[in-house]
Amino acid sequence: MKRSNYFVCFFSVFLISVFLTSAPAAASSFDISQYSGPKMKDLYYVIIRDMDARLLAMSTGKLDVLSDIYRPVDVERLLESGTADLSLASTFHGMFVTFNTRKFPWNETVLRQAASQASERKKWTRDLFSGYCEPMTGFLPVISPFYEKETTAFPPGAEAARKRLSDAGWTWNGDGWLVAPDGRELPMTNILCPPSSVAATTTEIATLMAETLVSIGVPARAAPMDFQTMLARVDVRDFDACTNAWSMSRDPDVLYSFYHSSMDVEGGYNLSGIADPELDGILHELRYAPDEAAAREYSSRAQKMLSDLMPVIPIYSRYSISAMQTGWDGIFLTDRNTADNLLTLISMTPSEGGPRPIYWNIPEEIRTLNPLVSSSAYDWMVLGTIYDTLISVDPYTFEDMPWLAESWDISPGEKGSVLTFTLKDGLKWQDGHPLTVEDAAYSIQFIKDNSVPRFYDSVKDIESIETDVKNRRLRITMANTSYWHLHNIGGGILLLPKHILENVKDWRAWQPSNTPHKALDGSMLTELIGTGPFTFRESRTGEYVHMTRNEHYMLRTAPE
Amino acid sequence: MTAALKRAGASAAVLAAVLALNFFLFRIMPGDPITGIVDPRFSPEAKAQLAAQWGLDRPMSEQFAVYVKEMLSFRFGLSMMTGAPVWDELKRRVPNTVALLLPALALSSALGIWLGVKAALNRGSALESAVLLSGAVSFSFPSFFVQLLLLMCFAYYWRLFPLSGTTSIPPPPGGMAILDYLWHLALPLFSLVVMGFGGFALYIRNMMVKALGEEYVLMARARGLPFRRVVWNHAFRSMLPPVLTILLLSLPGVVSGAVITETVFSMNGVGRFLLEATNSHDYPSAGAAFFLLALLTVGCNLLADVAYVLVDPRARRTGARD
Repeated sequence: MKRSNYFVCFFSVFLISVFLTSAPAAASSFDISQYSGPKMKDLYYVIIRDMDARLLAMSTGKLDVLSDIYRPVDVERLLESGTADLSLASTFHGMFVTFNTRKFPWNETVLRQAASQASERKKWTRDLFSGYCEPMTGFLPVISPFYEKETTAFPPGAEAARKRLSDAGWTWNGDGWLVAPDGRELPMTNILCPPSSVAATTTEIATLMAETLVSIGVPARAAPMDFQTMLARVDVRDFDACTNAWSMSRDPDVLYSFYHSSMDVEGGYNLSGIADPELDGILHELRYAPDEAAAREYSSRAQKMLSDLMPVIPIYSRYSISAMQTGWDGIFLTDRNTADNLLTLISMTPSEGGPRPIYWNIPEEIRTLNPLVSSSAYDWMVLGTIYDTLISVDPYTFEDMPWLAESWDISPGEKGSVLTFTLKDGLKWQDGHPLTVEDAAYSIQFIKDNSVPRFYDSVKDIESIETDVKNRRLRITMANTSYWHLHNIGGGILLLPKHILENVKDWRAWQPSNTPHKALDGSMLTELIGTGPFTFRESRTGEYVHMTRNEHYMLRTAPE
Repeated sequence: MTAALKRAGASAAVLAAVLALNFFLFRIMPGDPITGIVDPRFSPEAKAQLAAQWGLDRPMSEQFAVYVKEMLSFRFGLSMMTGAPVWDELKRRVPNTVALLLPALALSSALGIWLGVKAALNRGSALESAVLLSGAVSFSFPSFFVQLLLLMCFAYYWRLFPLSGTTSIPPPPGGMAILDYLWHLALPLFSLVVMGFGGFALYIRNMMVKALGEEYVLMARARGLPFRRVVWNHAFRSMLPPVLTILLLSLPGVVSGAVITETVFSMNGVGRFLLEATNSHDYPSAGAAFFLLALLTVGCNLLADVAYVLVDPRARRTGARD
């Protein structure tokens, strides 16, 4: 982690690509034991919602880290200010235009293929985002380890699209509008989208898509509306087409959520309504893949099939752009991570002078610090520094990496997968209590017994949990076989201290950050106790969250 | 007495209507707290669990009964956004809103009244032109624009005031924290006064011009009363009922309009909470906030009636007859 790794630099789209290729190349193994920290004692998460106020705070040194920069003009302003280093990386974001395949004309595969062909993604992203995002042609983000490059590539352009339609027997009437092979004329397609005051670029994408459809003879127009109204209409499938932005993950099992016919129910995310028996079969195999090899095979097949069926048109994926105040060393950066990550938080030290607090921006108010109910990404910026999971993600390869568990094993059981985790030795909670497999088992069982909605999908298939305290082993037997159980449980469930959780009477109303730690009077600790690098101290609504270094953190003892 | 009872009855009816509308309007609005969850890892089953957790799976009549009970007992239930009692959420935010808005309303109305009277007394002068011009500018400029401009000038270029929030991070120790709080409040307060005095100044100036031409003012002057006394004890006194009414009725509007100021200055107040609760379909929080706003409006209306009676002898006589 050298200072030279941390640089910035983009004045144009060309330089962005230079930047992306200049970051450290993917390493086969990442050794967390080489890191120690946290180095700084105090961390303040500063809540500033207005983007202009955030930029002003950054340029006046009131903030050290600013995440989630998405307007090209803001990038330019930060570059001009010269007080911050910027970093950029691909993300799991995906923006799509979804067609309602349940009704004419979007039940016609060839029409969806033609619409995709005619969409000028590269031009749109260049014009709308000045290149600060990447055109998307696949159904998973490019950085997903499961992204499939070898999918069907139709020749791009409106002319090629018209030819495809013509070859399939579609014609055009005297006014230039498309007519289906059976003689039916096409109704108006309204592309639902949020209003420009809420999401200007999304409205613009809908408008450009409508113009594209018109260029091949499909009557279409953008239909901006209140975002909640749009969501409600999409939820009951009352739409022709709509824009959707998703935050996906490294795992391809989201494909099941988006395209399996069983998910075409109210509240489900198969918005397009695609229902193809062969695709369903592949997605089922993907969801219940016994191992990584099978997962890769079915993921690849699903993506290839989707590129033929084209239920949605992938448009672009946003880059993550973050800014760091100059004058900090120890910044951790890879070609897949911007500088605003946990390893940076652990390692960062001032280039000059003694220790000082870190000021890290949160762009929204903290809603709740109850890890069992919080669903806001901004709450999780704080909770993510307090709580840990059994396994983590290698920042270079996005493969699994040991975290609280030093090793794990997946084996076939009588009914389903059996996951066995072995915890690291000497782990402690932030209040000094030792962390044992009993804590892990209690956390998971608590979540399952209470059907905690946020984690419901991860734990619903658990049959039994057993512990071997002496050997620090946790054995979880699942009701079915799936490779994703490892990620859902090992990487998706937070470990909570049993000695605190067993005293929680109503987990829905639990306010751990406002409840003093009963066993440690006068310590200023609350029930918000995890194993992460920083310990919660104080939250002032709408102002800041104060954290201090966890002296019991597992990396505090590692060699400097 | 009968009039007072009628008034109280009407106020109760308004509150009951608001209570019912609060419940049904939010449920008629497109979407609900569940459709707002856009996360592919949240299955339909998990969403059903969440709906059950919030009681949204129960019959509407049952939900309404629970809602009315919560509102009338001032418990308000748990916020769907935060999981905390709504009352606690409001308590955390009310002090900031009150500390900003009450002084802002007092200062802007006092300044507006003083300037309006001065302009009326100096008709055709440069002072009147200045008051008319500044009043029109103050009245017509969008608040976010003026506030951003002030932030740019006084917090960014000259760095006299903080850019955001209500406290330094970390907060200074002891009594310095109060000074720090006032320092953070200064710029938003100044911006509200700058934008608020114009309406009062123009209104007062017009009313005062009219009042100064009335026969009772002429009579007072003919009696040889000092001019200052004529202006404040006679002309201005006659304007008090509408001025008090405007002041009291503008209070609920100022509270609900606080959202812009609180957003620009990154302040944590009731206005922003109200907006977020509405956008998130947080029924208990939004219901409570609107109910309290309705209470404030009805309360201010009643206060305006009382004040009217106190400052207008004719109203007192009418009241006595009733």
